[in-house]
Amino acid sequence: MATDRTAKVTWRGSLMDGSGRIEGVGSGAFGPLDVTWVSRADTPDGRTSPEELIAAAWASCFSMALSHALAGAGTPPERLETSATVTFQPGEGILKGAISVVGTVPGVDHPTFLEHAEGAKVGCPVSKALTGIPEVTLDATLATA
Amino acid sequence: MPRIVRDADVSWEGNLARGTGAITAASSGAFEALGYSLPTRIAAPEGKTSPEELLAAAHGGCFTMSLAGELTGAGTPPGRLDVHCRITMDEIEGRGHLIVHSALDVHARVAGLDDAGLAQAVDAAHAGCSFSSLLRDAGVETEITTTLEGGD
Repeated sequence: MATDRTAKVTWRGSLMDGSGRIEGVGSGAFGPLDVTWVSRADTPDGRTSPEELIAAAWASCFSMALSHALAGAGTPPERLETSATVTFQPGEGILKGAISVVGTVPGVDHPTFLEHAEGAKVGCPVSKALTGIPEVTLDATLATA
Repeated sequence: MPRIVRDADVSWEGNLARGTGAITAASSGAFEALGYSLPTRIAAPEGKTSPEELLAAAHGGCFTMSLAGELTGAGTPPGRLDVHCRITMDEIEGRGHLIVHSALDVHARVAGLDDAGLAQAVDAAHAGCSFSSLLRDAGVETEITTTLEGGD
């Protein structure tokens, strides 16, 4: 069954001097969140941006896919700490993505964890929508007990 | 212009079916520890966000800024743009779960603009928005509908 998720965005004025707002999302989980070109392209000053939202979508999707793979192998994670980084070059596009995950996973060695993480990196639905990013790196480590 | 880097952090505890996660906007701090889970991702959201909802916010935000830029460049900066984005994920036989569609519904209030001018700006915005480009690369269809509401 298909799943739909929605967001509403408004903008007033020119790109450089105007301002926008992610008014809200279908779930009601967040918003309104202000966005501006300056805070997207320079320091965020507390404002989110499309690239940060892509990073959030990616890290959350990756974490679910990795937990699924680990649980399927009989070793569900106690905890996964994932960071995603998205690098944007105005005029060129999104050039780089980086995923970093630290797992607390009883009964799993590092090569096995890395293998599952590589699978989640290519297999989660958000990753499959981001295959146009030229360079994607993965750093997967196990937390020391 | 230097490269722009944005980070997000997620913590996840447990397996897929019963586990839960928390999503934080690490670069800006604009949101923190938003909860999510498998049931709220694929069934009723019950107040929880999801990867697909974050993509809807990202695409809506990216496209809206691109459109504001194109309209400004054409000498007709927008009074107001209202953009609704809907991202659809579906299970495709043999390929698993995929993002299959993004729908952008644009209501533009722009002084001195006609329908042809809006259509031209929308095409250029879709070509220029970084996230639209990625969806195109991945074979995800974007459908854009527009309504011009006249000057403000």
